[in-house]
Amino acid sequence: MTKLYLFVRRYLAVMMVFGAASAFAQQSVSGKVTSSDDGSGIPGVNILEKGTSNGTVTDSDGNYTISIGVNATLAFSFVGYTQQEVSVGSQTTVNVKMESDVTSLSEVVVVGYGSQDKKEITSSVVSLSTKEFNQGNVNDPTQLLQGKVAGLSIYNRGGDPNTGAVIRLRGISTVGANVQPLVVVDGVLGASLDNIDPNDIESINVLKDGSAAAIYGSRGSSGVILVTTKRGSSKGGGLSVTYNGYIAAAEVLNRVPIMSASQFIAAGGNNLGGNTDWQKEVTRTGITHVHNLGISGGSQNTTFRLSTNIREVQGILKKSGFDQINARANLTHSALNDKLKIDVNMAFTNRNSNFSFTEALRYASLYNPTAPKRFPSGEFFQAILFDNFNPVAILDQNINEGKRRNLNYNAKIDYSIIDDLTLTVNFGQQYENVLNGEYYSRNSLFRGLNRGGLARRYTSEKSFTLFEAYATYTKQFGKIDLSANAGYSFQQDNFEDIFISLGNFPNDALGYNALEQSGDLLTGITGANNINIQSNTSPTNKIIAQFARISLTYDKAIFFNASVRNEGSTKLGANNRYGLFPALGLGVDLNRYLQIQKIDNLKLRVGYGVTGSLPNDAGLAQELYTYSNQNGGAITKARAANANLRWEEKRETNIGLDFSIGGKFSGSIDVYSRNVKDFVSSVPVPFAQFGADRQFQNAGSLSTTGFEFNLNYDAIQFGQVRWTPGLVLSSYKSTLESIVGAPVQVRSNFGAPGQNSTPLIRVAVGEEIGQIWGPVFNRVSAGGSDGKEQVRDQNDPNKGVAAGGVIFADLNGDGQVLAEPGSALNPNGDYRKLGSGIPTMEIGWRNQLSYKNWDLNVFFRSAFGHSLVNSFRGFYEPLDAGAINSYNRVITSKAVAGLTEAKFSSLYVEKADFFKLDNATLGYTVKRSNSNGTLKNIRLYFSVQNAFVITSYTGIDPEPVLQDPGAFDNGAFAPTVGEQDVLAPGIDRRNSYFTPRTFTFGLSFGL
Amino acid sequence: MKNLVKYSLITSLLLGGAACTNLDEQIKGDFTKQEALLNQGVGQKINVNKATPNDGLAGAFTRVLNGTAGHNSYFSVQEVSTDEAVITQKGGDWFDGGIWLNMHKHSFNSTIGGINNAWNDANAGIFQCNDLLSKTQTAGNVAQLKTLRAYFFWRLLDVFGRVPLATSTAKVPQSERPVVYAFVESELLAALPDLPSGKQEYGRFNKSGAYALLARLYLNANIYKGTAPDNADYDKAIAAADAVINSGLYTITGNKYKDVFSPSNVENAEHIFVAPFDEATGQGMNLAQMTLHYPSQLTFRLAEQPWNGYSTLEEFYNSYEATDERKANNFVVGPQVDLNGNQILDLAFDKGDADGAPINYTPAINMLAPNGSRQAGARFGKFSFKLGQFQNMDNDYPLLRYGEVLLNKAEALARKNGYGDATALALVNQIRTRAGVVPFGSLTEGTLLAERGRELFIEGLRRTDLIRFGAWGNAWWEKPAHSDAFKNLMPIPLEQINATSGDGANKLTQNPGYQ
Repeated sequence: MTKLYLFVRRYLAVMMVFGAASAFAQQSVSGKVTSSDDGSGIPGVNILEKGTSNGTVTDSDGNYTISIGVNATLAFSFVGYTQQEVSVGSQTTVNVKMESDVTSLSEVVVVGYGSQDKKEITSSVVSLSTKEFNQGNVNDPTQLLQGKVAGLSIYNRGGDPNTGAVIRLRGISTVGANVQPLVVVDGVLGASLDNIDPNDIESINVLKDGSAAAIYGSRGSSGVILVTTKRGSSKGGGLSVTYNGYIAAAEVLNRVPIMSASQFIAAGGNNLGGNTDWQKEVTRTGITHVHNLGISGGSQNTTFRLSTNIREVQGILKKSGFDQINARANLTHSALNDKLKIDVNMAFTNRNSNFSFTEALRYASLYNPTAPKRFPSGEFFQAILFDNFNPVAILDQNINEGKRRNLNYNAKIDYSIIDDLTLTVNFGQQYENVLNGEYYSRNSLFRGLNRGGLARRYTSEKSFTLFEAYATYTKQFGKIDLSANAGYSFQQDNFEDIFISLGNFPNDALGYNALEQSGDLLTGITGANNINIQSNTSPTNKIIAQFARISLTYDKAIFFNASVRNEGSTKLGANNRYGLFPALGLGVDLNRYLQIQKIDNLKLRVGYGVTGSLPNDAGLAQELYTYSNQNGGAITKARAANANLRWEEKRETNIGLDFSIGGKFSGSIDVYSRNVKDFVSSVPVPFAQFGADRQFQNAGSLSTTGFEFNLNYDAIQFGQVRWTPGLVLSSYKSTLESIVGAPVQVRSNFGAPGQNSTPLIRVAVGEEIGQIWGPVFNRVSAGGSDGKEQVRDQNDPNKGVAAGGVIFADLNGDGQVLAEPGSALNPNGDYRKLGSGIPTMEIGWRNQLSYKNWDLNVFFRSAFGHSLVNSFRGFYEPLDAGAINSYNRVITSKAVAGLTEAKFSSLYVEKADFFKLDNATLGYTVKRSNSNGTLKNIRLYFSVQNAFVITSYTGIDPEPVLQDPGAFDNGAFAPTVGEQDVLAPGIDRRNSYFTPRTFTFGLSFGL
Repeated sequence: MKNLVKYSLITSLLLGGAACTNLDEQIKGDFTKQEALLNQGVGQKINVNKATPNDGLAGAFTRVLNGTAGHNSYFSVQEVSTDEAVITQKGGDWFDGGIWLNMHKHSFNSTIGGINNAWNDANAGIFQCNDLLSKTQTAGNVAQLKTLRAYFFWRLLDVFGRVPLATSTAKVPQSERPVVYAFVESELLAALPDLPSGKQEYGRFNKSGAYALLARLYLNANIYKGTAPDNADYDKAIAAADAVINSGLYTITGNKYKDVFSPSNVENAEHIFVAPFDEATGQGMNLAQMTLHYPSQLTFRLAEQPWNGYSTLEEFYNSYEATDERKANNFVVGPQVDLNGNQILDLAFDKGDADGAPINYTPAINMLAPNGSRQAGARFGKFSFKLGQFQNMDNDYPLLRYGEVLLNKAEALARKNGYGDATALALVNQIRTRAGVVPFGSLTEGTLLAERGRELFIEGLRRTDLIRFGAWGNAWWEKPAHSDAFKNLMPIPLEQINATSGDGANKLTQNPGYQ
């Protein structure tokens, strides 16, 4: 590849020299281009007078001569080195030192247990380096990738700085197992992204299909994200220091559209005498500072890189945010004539978070706008109503904060026994400690008042150990290049936590810091029973695997990869602990044989691979008895054993085409089909046989088909403006193939008030996943002689709908309306699909523009075809005379006049197609090529995230919701992410964090 | 150096490969087998209630707590479907898919969660009984467990009729209702000899417990068997009731009605078998939450906000005479005040409510749906509230009590000998006298049903009574009349049918008349 590239560049350069003959030359400049690595001259460097087609190349010693115009700027470029530009001025000699560019040099792509030349890859792998990452206020490594990888859906709705994004690669790959991709950091699989600062990432590779991921076996089903952190370099011999920093301001992009106090009174609400903009009261402009300092250097045999990252992040919800310090040290040492290479990586993160209360955003949207913030006495205004809390009081009176510390290290040793055989041993550990504290004031109606103050503490420790050893053998036999490796992997994780909740405190002064003062601890008084203490220790979860891979290249044009992994896990039933995960891949460089003019590359890839998934919870296969002091003190059988619990298995076929035409237009197309078999899910079972009404079983299978495009054009040139557009586009559809129990099910629950037992989602064998299911709104009842409009219903012949109520459509035309939630699955029910929770197409469109020292990145992101259940409207839009005094009303253009009854229907399922300017960054680079100054590569940039969104969705954010946390209200605590339902996408619940628009100003330079 | 590195690498490869091959999972947070309880202090509590016996049977006996006096299970099915309880839709509140409105109107549906929970709660008890019975037990314990299991099967028999008679974890087919009836009877009879003759231990059975359940079973025998009434069954019911009465262990004399249900009602002289609810060690009674309006939290200083759901039908409330002690005890009505005597307010009161913001529980309810008044309806006060109580109440809930045995005997006599039976009248008048109302001069079917209703209000028996008295299809407030005999049974929950689908051995079929 490199040679081919070199050839092309030289050829082009020669063409340019001819072209330059006609240019108006005024000045002759000469010089030598050397490598900053060792000072040697570099032959073949491409030199271009900017803004013209005038150029030349260096000779075999790196010398050049060129005639140029006045005030010209010369651009020096060569593959593997960072492009440099020099303003010539009156100089006649310009010597340039080229810095090697690690990312572009690596036409080599990191894959599981090694790396491959990009052209040898036979699977769908996307490789992104620093330049392609999202910019702006990025606090989570996954944000770097959002929209950049076709098929990788990353949605962090609202952008609460303390919650991570939901990530899906190629749709749902599992139901009850871990749905997030496997992360591999510097070769340590199962690593956590929480301990990596985005600034320290050199590149990220995403292994999309099964044939690439199968080498990782378990947990490979949801895709694999390989992160490589920046490493030190001995180039230049000394230290190099880089600084990156920015300051960002985030403001509320969208609010829930609600009535003002005067509108509320006019609509019939009780006037409580005040006028409060609750949404404004609980939000703010969040200011964020980020600083990154990197130091790298070394000698011939040893290089290092040290970095420190400081983040002070404020969310748009008052109080929310975190302060974080992260430090990372990467060290590489080679010895024994480079036969031995040792890599040591260490990282530490200390994050102090204020989680604040997202509930305040919910109550800010529904609290009575005529309520004052405080009573005249100075106390917070409160009314004792269902699901009703003064949002300002929630934030002011209570505390919800936590600390998280991550530490990890690993040491990797490569040793070449003989030239062709390398042994590698990798040992790593990572730890995460969490310590959270909540305190609810004695005066806080929200969770505190009736407990006389409530304190909750939570602490946990997670640890993970990895040991892997493998051997790699590479050899050339004639036209065949062989690379093979085989090895062993051992992984172990442990988890422990302690939770304490108690109340009855003498006052609020000490918050959660003095639990011993809790009156609950006194025996014999009411409240003693409400101390809640829990501790958990997980089993030692182990994974043991053996793996092997072989890669063959024939004639530098036909590529064959095969791998197999045999893997066992403690989490599975005794009969099925081990699973076998094979993969095959074939690639052909077609153009080597077709020799089509103008086509630089045309490679066809076919891959097939099997990957596995494990359930999140341990112990699912075992018989369990639980003891409870409650219910009289008893040991009860809680679960029957399931010795047959086995691996979820995903089989995936991927066909891809990589192409590059005319040196400018390149891209890839992938089509895939994946089948998930034996997915683990909780299914209903007869209680009398299992001791529980549900059991985790291998419950069914689902299939997904999809395609992905990745197109790039490099570059369109208008004078000195260079425009490099790129497009990623993906689409998939998942279908349920089989499921234990009922082949047709409804799931999810709309919630209180009044809409419990109201399912929203249909899941059925043979149908696509993600159907929003409900009755169709027909009209508002006009009432009748007795005040009710008659609707024929076989269950209730006298059914009438009072004026202002909902009359649903008779969809099947049988003359009666069966639209109550209990009829959702009735064969005569008037229900239908109201939308899909999963987009039919997701698009990322990036544009890089450069002009002289200016660069502009404009990134648009879009998703089409999905709908969302707008919960705020579904509960609070109808002018329900009974509810308006409890809750403010939502007002949107989609409201139906005269409707006074809140019942879920098609009315609240909205198309949520959107097109947004996700990120626009304007940068200016100060070039100091002579490297005499102290500052190098100074860059300033200004960035806007979420600049604008075009959508018809009336909720706060049209981004897809891929999983459902369920309904929780009235101050109840939110369910954890693991308890969310992946089969119920598309429900925009009432606890969403508001979406920010963020402006960032950044500076970076080197020393 | 070179060799050192080489050999250490190879060694670690081999070691790593050999050392870690054990994939047995060691659970640390729960037991993986039925461990013995070594600490007898566990589960005991010094507050109000006493500890249940440390006989190793708690795992099964605590299952009577589930769904018995909480929302959305057995209690809700047995009560909301009758003329003594209702959950109105209060504007945007409590529509909940229409399931409680439909329950009230007898539009039963196999997807209703509460019906499924009633099924699961009974089967959970059966499962724990079977688990304990599969281990070596004393004859006394076996009798306890069999009686308890028969009680759970009685619930299934009464509510669902056609159920699988699971006595182990083996899959068994669904049995028809008469078979289930015969099984419950035979199990109780078989257990009787090994049950204690004296007073029952707290939360356990004695002979009287089995007899009291038999009396109830025999009284309903014709319904359960699907046959015409048979005097032989009434004779058996009378004999079983007499066995309880003649034991001399129970009395209503001098035992105030309110004390039978109060938070300190532990081992009340009338209790034969109870669900021993306790705010700490026996959770699941949520009646205050279920019935009271949100601001009533201030009246009783409740630790958690109530839900404003259940109330009583006006007609039922009015069936009590003004002087009936049970009327004062069973309901919360009228203006409500906080602990300082100030009127409590509902700031979101309905515009149409004459009382405005101050809360006044009126027995009259404006409508069932969609805009039932937030403040309307007499609320359940029978199991009286403790100041400052938490969501889980302390009152024991009688599942079998002496008052019911007296009424059962009276009814069996009346059904056998006619309503002119003097003993029957005397038994009913015992109950009336205790309640402070004038004794009846004579008895009719209608007055007996009404008297049972007043006495046994929200004890989970009203549905069974209405069916037995042929009053189940009658019209009452916001409930149309029907003559659908199939509605005497609830539908088999769809989730249960689905859980057994594709499996011939235990495949459930729906009760006739339901989809």
